[in-house]
Amino acid sequence: MTRILEVSKLNKSFGGVTVAREIDFTLETGAMHCLIGPNGAGKSSFFRLLLGEHAPDSGTITFCGEDITTLRSFQRIRRGISVKFQVPGIFKALSVRQNLEVAFQHHLHGASLGDTVRRVLEFTNLTGAVTTPAGELSHGQQQWLEIGMAVGVEPKLLLLDEPTAGMSPDETRKTGDMLHDLNGRGITILAVEHDMAFVQQIAHSVTVLHMGAIFAEGSIAEMTAHPGVQEIYLGAADD
Amino acid sequence: MSSLNSPDTTARPPARRGPRKWLARLEGPQTMGHGPAFWAAAVLVILAAAAYPQFANDFTVGNVAYFMVWTFMAMGLGVVWGYGGALSFGQTAFFGLAGYGYGVVSINIGSAFGLTWLALVLAVALGGAFALLIGYFMFYGRIKGVFIGIVTLSVTLVLETFMAQTAGPQWRIGDARLNGFNGMSGMPPLTVPWPGGDILLYSGTALYYVLLAMVVLVYLGLRMLLNAPFGNVLVAIRENPERTEMLGYDIRFYQMLAFGLGGALAGLSGALYTAWGQYITPSSMGLTAAALPIVWVAVGGRRDITATLLGSLLVIAGFQSLTIYGSQYALVVMGGLLVFTVLVTPDGLVATAMDRIGRLSRKMRR
Amino acid sequence: MDVVAALFSTVYQFGDAFAFLVISCAGLAVIFGMMGIINLAHGEFIMCGAYVTAATARAGLPLPLAIACGALAAAAVGMVVERTVIRHLYHRPLDSIIATWGISLIATQGVLIVLGPTMQGIGTPLGSMAVGDRSYSIYRLVLFAASIGLLASLYLLFYRTRFGVIARATIQRPAMARALGVDTRRVYGLTFGLGAGLAGLAGGLYAPTMTMVPTMGATFIVESFVTVVVGGTDIFMGAAPAAAILAVIRAGLTAWYGQLFGQIGLLVAVIVVIRVLPGGLSAFIRRWQR
Repeated sequence: MTRILEVSKLNKSFGGVTVAREIDFTLETGAMHCLIGPNGAGKSSFFRLLLGEHAPDSGTITFCGEDITTLRSFQRIRRGISVKFQVPGIFKALSVRQNLEVAFQHHLHGASLGDTVRRVLEFTNLTGAVTTPAGELSHGQQQWLEIGMAVGVEPKLLLLDEPTAGMSPDETRKTGDMLHDLNGRGITILAVEHDMAFVQQIAHSVTVLHMGAIFAEGSIAEMTAHPGVQEIYLGAADD
Repeated sequence: MSSLNSPDTTARPPARRGPRKWLARLEGPQTMGHGPAFWAAAVLVILAAAAYPQFANDFTVGNVAYFMVWTFMAMGLGVVWGYGGALSFGQTAFFGLAGYGYGVVSINIGSAFGLTWLALVLAVALGGAFALLIGYFMFYGRIKGVFIGIVTLSVTLVLETFMAQTAGPQWRIGDARLNGFNGMSGMPPLTVPWPGGDILLYSGTALYYVLLAMVVLVYLGLRMLLNAPFGNVLVAIRENPERTEMLGYDIRFYQMLAFGLGGALAGLSGALYTAWGQYITPSSMGLTAAALPIVWVAVGGRRDITATLLGSLLVIAGFQSLTIYGSQYALVVMGGLLVFTVLVTPDGLVATAMDRIGRLSRKMRR
Repeated sequence: MDVVAALFSTVYQFGDAFAFLVISCAGLAVIFGMMGIINLAHGEFIMCGAYVTAATARAGLPLPLAIACGALAAAAVGMVVERTVIRHLYHRPLDSIIATWGISLIATQGVLIVLGPTMQGIGTPLGSMAVGDRSYSIYRLVLFAASIGLLASLYLLFYRTRFGVIARATIQRPAMARALGVDTRRVYGLTFGLGAGLAGLAGGLYAPTMTMVPTMGATFIVESFVTVVVGGTDIFMGAAPAAAILAVIRAGLTAWYGQLFGQIGLLVAVIVVIRVLPGGLSAFIRRWQR
C-alpha cells in the first residue's frame, strides 16, 4: 500500500470560522512530510481532525485503507498512529520510566515491555534520568521523552505538532536526526512546523495551508520559489 | 510540582509469572513505603492491633471495630479521587444502597448456613454495580471536574430523599420494611456457622478480628492493584487525561472501572456498618454524611493509599473523641482542619508527615 | 370566580418558588458564574444576613434598613474570607469546595456555640390577603417583586456601570485586565464580597419568614446550587430562566406528590442538565443564538 493516509473533501467550521475547506490530502507511506503555512492557516485544526479530537462537518479520512472518520481518538491511536503535540504531553509527576511504561503497556507486557523501555531510553539519551520526575527534565529532554513515548510502540504514522518549538539550534538538529532515524525504520512522518531550517532538514515534501485550504504542494525548493507562497506569508505578516 | 510518591527507586525485576508478579507489586511507584523498615513497621502495627483486644474491654474493642468499618469507603474514595482525580461527593450513595441491600437480603434469607455472608457479597456487588452505572453515565457523558462532585452529590441526596419517604407499610421488599425516616432495623449480624452454635458477630472482639483481617487484605490488594498497569493508567488519567487518550487508552472505561471499585468499597463499608449495628437510615446518605469521607481523605492524604488508610483512622477516631469530650467544638475543629489542610498541607496531613519522615530517614542514612 | 382564584393560586405558587430560587441563588451565581468558585459556605452567608437583620430589626431599625445591614455584614465577612482563604484557591476549584465547606462547618457550629440553638426572630410583616377561599401572605408578593428588582439591579450593575464592565473583563481575561492596569485582586475581592452580600440579602429578605437557627442556610443551599448549575455561568441568560423552569418543576411536583418529590425533581433536573446541556442553559442559549 503506497498511501498511508488519504483525506477527502474535509470540511470543518466552528461558529463562523472555517478551519478546513474541502481539503484533499494524501500521504505516501514512508514519506517525511511537513505542513506549513502562516498563523491561522488551519494546521493545528487539521491535525486535530486527523486525530479525532473534532469530528469533521463532512469528508472522509482513510488510514491504511480503512475509513477512520467516525472512530474515536484512542481507536485511531491503536491502529498505528502516534502523536506528539506542541506542548509537552508528558506526565510531569510520573518518573521517566513510568511515562514510558504508560505509553507502551497496553501493547507490551513483561520482558518485552522492559526491553522496549530500555531501548527507548537509549534512543532518547535519557538512560541517566530514569527515575527523575518528568517535570524536572529540561525542555528539550521533555520533548524527546515525548517522542520516545510516541515511537516506542512502532507506529505506522507519527504526527508531530511543532516538535522543535522552544528548542535550541543544537537540540533542533538532534531532533531532526532522530526523525530521520525513525523514518529509516519505516515510520511515516507528518509534521506541522514553523522553523523553515528544520523543515529543510527533514522534509522530502511540504504542503502549504492557507485559510483552511491547501494552497500549494511540492518539494521545498518548489515552495520557496513559489511567489504565491511568499505572498501569503508576507501578506499575513502585514495584518 | 514535586512528586509526593517516593522516588522510583525500585529496580524493575525480571518478568515473573502469576503470584510472584503480584507479590512484587506490593511495592511500587504509586504507593509510599518501601523496603524492610517499612514492612517491619507494618507487621508490628498489625501484631499490635491483633493483641489489642487482650488489653481492652469488649465495648471499646467493638468501638475500634466501628472505626475500621469506615476505612473501606475512605480507601475507595482514595482510589477514585486521589489516584483517579475525580472528586466524588456521593460515595455515601453506594454506602447506603449496600447497607439497605444487606438488610433486605439478610432479613429475607436469614442467617443460617452462613447466608449473611452471601448477603454481604450481594450488597457489595449492588454498590459496585450501581457505581458502574453512575460511572458510565458520567464518564461516557464526558462529565468532569466539579460537575462530577455535583452529580454524585445529587445522586446521594436523591436516594436519601427517596428513602426518607418510604415510611408506609407498602414500602417493603419481601419481609423487609424500608421504614422511611426511621430506618431499617432487625437484620441479623454477620453470622459464622459453627458446630455447637453459630457465632454471631455483634460489635465486639470476634467482629474486630474479622474486620482487621478484611482491612489488611483490602489494603494489600489495593497496593497491588495500584502498582499494576491499571494504577499507572489511572494516575496518568489524573495527570493529563487528553494525553492518556492520545496514547491509545479509552479513558472513560478506566475511570468507570475505578469508580465502580470505589463504589464497591463504599458498599463494603455500608454493608459492614449495617451488620455491625443492625441498623441503617436514610441520613447515612445525607449531606453531612456525604461530606465526611471527603474530610477523612482530604485531611489524611489522598495521593497515597497508606496515608489514606492511616489518616482516615486517625481522623475518625479523633473526631469521635472530640465529640465525646468537647462535643460542640468537634465540628469547629473539623472545619478548621479542612481549611488548614487545603491551605497548608494540600496533600493531606498524614501524607505530608509520611513524606517528611521518609525524606528525613533518607537524609539520615547518608 | 373559582377559575380566577385557582389561577391566582397557581401564579402565586410559581412566583413564590421563582422568587426563592432567584434571591437565594444570586450570590452563588455571581461567585460561581463569574469566578468559578464553588462556595459551600453560601448558606452560612445567608444565615449571617438573616441573623444580623433579625437582630437589628429587633433593636428598632425599620425592616428595609435592617435587611441592608444584614447584606452589608455578610459582604464584609465575605471580603475577609476572600482575602484569607479563597484568594489562594483560584486555580484549585476542587480545593475551594473543601475549604468553603470547612468554613461552613466553622460558621454553623460557631454560631451554635456563641448564640445558642436558636435566636429570636422577627415576624412576617404586611399580613395577608384573601383570594377565593385561601389567604396569601402579602410579604411573599413583595419578595416576588424584590426578585425582579434584584435581577434588574444586577443587570444594571454588570452591564451599565464601570465596575460591572471591569469585573466582567477581569473574570474573562485576567491577564489582559492586569495589563490594562486593573487591580485584579481588588476586583476578585469585591466580586466575592458582592456574592456574599447578595447571600446576606437573601437571608435578610427571608428572615421574617423563618426561624433563626444556625443551620438555616441548609434550606437554601441545595436549591441555589441546582439553579446555578442548571443556569450556567450567565446570571441573566442562565440563572433567571433556570429559576423559572425549576420553579415550575418544583411547584408542580410539590403540588402533586409532596415536598420530597419536589426536591427529588430538582436534583434529577440537575443530573439531566449536566449530562445533556453541559454549560447549562446559558451555554445552550448562546449556541442557539448563533
